[in-house]
Amino acid sequence: MDYYLSQVINGICQGSIYALMAIGYSVVVGVVGLVTFTHGEVIMLGAFAAYFAFQFFGNNLILGIIASFSASAFIGIFVYKICYERFFDAPRHISLLLTIGVSMLLKNLTQILIGPNNMPLLGVVPNKFFGIGLVGVTLVQIIVIVTVISLSLLLFLLFNKTRWGIMLRAVSQDKKAAALMGINVKVTSMLGNCIGSGLGGIAGMLLAIYYQTLIATMGGSAGIKAFSASVLGGLTDIPSAALGGLSLGIIENLGITFASASFRDIFAFIFLLLVLLIKPEGFARKRGVRP
Amino acid sequence: MKMKISAFVRKLPTWVKALCLTILGAALIALPIVYPKSYVMGVMCRIFMYMILAGSLNVINGYSGQFNIGHAGFYCIGAYTEAILATKVGLSFWIALPLGGVMAAVIGLLVATPTLKLRGTYLAIVTLGASEIIRLVALNWEGLTGGPIGIKGIPSPVLLGFKISKSIHYYYIFLALAALFFFVTYRIINSRIGRAWLSIREDELAARSLGVETRFYKAINFMYGAFWAGIAGAAFAPYFKFISSDMFSLDEGFNILSMVIIGGQGTLLGPAVGSIIVNFLTEFLRPISQFRLVVYALLIIVMMWLRPQGLVGASNSILAGKKIGGNLSRRGKGGAAVARAGGR
Amino acid sequence: MERGKIRRLLVLGLLMAVSVFVAFAAGPVKTYKFGVMAPITGTNAEYGKGFQIATKMAVDEINAKGEIKIELVVKDSKGDPKESADIARQFGDDASIMAIVGDFTSSSCMAAAPIVDEAGIVLLSPTASNPNYASMSKFAFSVMGRQDGEAPFFSTYLLKKYAGAKDIGVIWVNSDWGKSSHDNLVAQAKKDGLNVVSDVNYIADEKDFSASIAKLRRGKPDHIVILDQGAVPTIINQIAQAGWNDVKITTLGPGTSQQIISLCGKNAEGLLLTTPFFFDENSKSDMAWYNTFYKAAGFYPTVHPACAYDCVYLLEAAIKNSGDKVTRESIRSNLQNYKGFSGLTGPIVFNPDGDIFRKYLIVAVENGKFVKKTNFDFAK
Repeated sequence: MDYYLSQVINGICQGSIYALMAIGYSVVVGVVGLVTFTHGEVIMLGAFAAYFAFQFFGNNLILGIIASFSASAFIGIFVYKICYERFFDAPRHISLLLTIGVSMLLKNLTQILIGPNNMPLLGVVPNKFFGIGLVGVTLVQIIVIVTVISLSLLLFLLFNKTRWGIMLRAVSQDKKAAALMGINVKVTSMLGNCIGSGLGGIAGMLLAIYYQTLIATMGGSAGIKAFSASVLGGLTDIPSAALGGLSLGIIENLGITFASASFRDIFAFIFLLLVLLIKPEGFARKRGVRP
Repeated sequence: MKMKISAFVRKLPTWVKALCLTILGAALIALPIVYPKSYVMGVMCRIFMYMILAGSLNVINGYSGQFNIGHAGFYCIGAYTEAILATKVGLSFWIALPLGGVMAAVIGLLVATPTLKLRGTYLAIVTLGASEIIRLVALNWEGLTGGPIGIKGIPSPVLLGFKISKSIHYYYIFLALAALFFFVTYRIINSRIGRAWLSIREDELAARSLGVETRFYKAINFMYGAFWAGIAGAAFAPYFKFISSDMFSLDEGFNILSMVIIGGQGTLLGPAVGSIIVNFLTEFLRPISQFRLVVYALLIIVMMWLRPQGLVGASNSILAGKKIGGNLSRRGKGGAAVARAGGR
Repeated sequence: MERGKIRRLLVLGLLMAVSVFVAFAAGPVKTYKFGVMAPITGTNAEYGKGFQIATKMAVDEINAKGEIKIELVVKDSKGDPKESADIARQFGDDASIMAIVGDFTSSSCMAAAPIVDEAGIVLLSPTASNPNYASMSKFAFSVMGRQDGEAPFFSTYLLKKYAGAKDIGVIWVNSDWGKSSHDNLVAQAKKDGLNVVSDVNYIADEKDFSASIAKLRRGKPDHIVILDQGAVPTIINQIAQAGWNDVKITTLGPGTSQQIISLCGKNAEGLLLTTPFFFDENSKSDMAWYNTFYKAAGFYPTVHPACAYDCVYLLEAAIKNSGDKVTRESIRSNLQNYKGFSGLTGPIVFNPDGDIFRKYLIVAVENGKFVKKTNFDFAK
């Protein structure tokens, strides 16, 4: 019994990271209104930003969070300018193909500049284990879960209690109406993109700390997981995306328990396909922009 | 770039087109006799194979407007089908080849059917997922596919007692397959089926309201594209003599996609041009091979900005997108279609 | 002109004539070209670069001796078997290339094997270990040592005889190398009477091993066997992170990779592994090579570049034994039949298929260093 419990705990921890990635993705797609393939690379770049912050300034987690958020948000500006800004009214496939191109570009440039190998990231969080035998949590897992919960709360506050949040929500519901209300749609969409990307960047840092390694090609599977999880919320609804992330993590880990880790990605894809085929709009309550 | 290449080509008199094709055909047939370097033969074989792969992807993306980015999966199925039938059952290449295509088409139908009602980008993700699932199954199902070890020792095809093993021989096989593909596709595009596909691409709702059975035609389209990808895979398996699942990764799918994007969507010539350009770039950029993918990515971005339909793609279509710069003018040939699209 | 100047000109002319005559009489130094096929970019870039540097070291030494001259043509196979097949075709086509050193992975070598068979050019791989590779062509060779040699040795001599293991948990990478090693290991373990209590695998890019480690732990093994190369440090660290301290860790695959020491630190203390070759700190020649490599590469060598180095010397020996007429076929037959070669990595004699059975050493990590625990004669 405690074996299954420990796998569920693993699942919750991984699921929280997936949830953060999915939340970031939903913010981007919700506010900008266009589906993107670049989120994986944004996550990867945030991880590397944190890596370099740790190399040069020591193992300071807060610094890592600031570094990864800023780096990814900055990349978000770049992605926005190339892929979204001029294509809001164009057929959807153009911006999608552009995001595929940008994701290829970022991935390969990183491989060239930083190197294609696994970069180790050790000892950022000391190895402490709280529990008995198989069952328990490690310090890393606690930090991951706490970070994700705090960020979600912050996001909730931002979206519901601040003026910027209201503008973001307006733009995500209907751009033209928001423009008529005097909101600067371009700046707000870019802001939404940057916030979502920044959250992805922090998720990248958490991945790097948890796995203790990072590599330039980690974006691919991260992006797919983010997409799969946020599909549960119709790509735009944030709480459903978080739920999707958590369930994905738990399902994956339980799947590995009964089968083998070689099938890990198969579970993610089957999860995705089932959701898409049964209920493509997900469990979204609000009727936002449908990409 | 306002060159309407496709319009120009269409206006040429038929005898000019026939003459050009004959000259091209003769040159291609004569090439191995004149210049039999094995390296060149290898590159040409690759170009022909990718013409079929990019061409079949173009049938799906460029002719019916569906969005498939997981083409590597069908390619994988064709290759493994041929390899398994040839090594385990001892089937002749000439029977296993079409079977590879048929198997891929069946899987294509399985992927397409539940997704017919899905919108563009959702379909794209489903195809991505399907492609990866196919690859992961090939990686893990040891009993059938050899698992991570792959399948080796795939026997060479035998034609009338003559064993085909040198790349010169394969050159002719691939040339014949590519020519067959273009011929058949040309006939289908210009038939009722092709016209139905075009109408679905430009405006599915309008097509349906005019009585076009959109679901049926979309499914046929998907199966057709998958079929030829399977043929390409089945033809390539004995050429390499060894296949494993890592040859059919997502990156391979993006490779094929970039040929379609760069060369052109929505026309027959587009993917052919794309295959030639990308494969030549691979050879020229060998010294700085790390930058090759960066170059492709930049080409995709530039192409989408300046000419979304690709170099020789269909200019009078939704693939060409709206004019860049936020021009709100609704006049012009592409405008009407785009206006309807913009309202989605 | 003056008399003195004419005399000087005559002497100069005579000297030139004499030197030309001498040069022709001695004969120009013959140059031979080898192709080098390696994953310079991609996942295995570290090993590809290692090949590049080690082969260059060998060639520089041979050229300095002045008897023959070797030129290397290096091409990047990116770790992609399709690229290897293409490059093999290019080399095969180029009549000036006498032999090929490469590739790194067994899949790349197996993809190239039918092509070198058709072209009739030797493909000498430093590291292909799949037992099916060398039998694919009489031109296919490998010096690494077959997996169906190392894995059984690991089970019988390291696990059972040296470590006294009873219950083992195996965690392995689901690649062609990993699967082959795993199958050979488990088959031998059963014969040795060891209990395989847990058996988990993962695909090559996996980062999170916590689920697999929990699964491994469930069987309560006393020894763990990790079958992989690049991910071994990560797995060791995640085992430590999971608080599982009372188990002994062994690994087959990475050899004496410095990465393990630098990335795992204390977590690697007491690690046991096998390697066909080990840079002995007490051997001056070993250390000289080790340091020269480090200066050229910026990272420390493992057995893999050492094998590449030996490959070049093997080819040199084959050329010397071919006498006057050096062809691709003469290189092949001399390589196949050469007895008595002893290189940096030990003695190499090819068996009829074209690969070799190696002998192995057991090495442990003690105080942050690799220490040889047994000699080659431990296996009787």
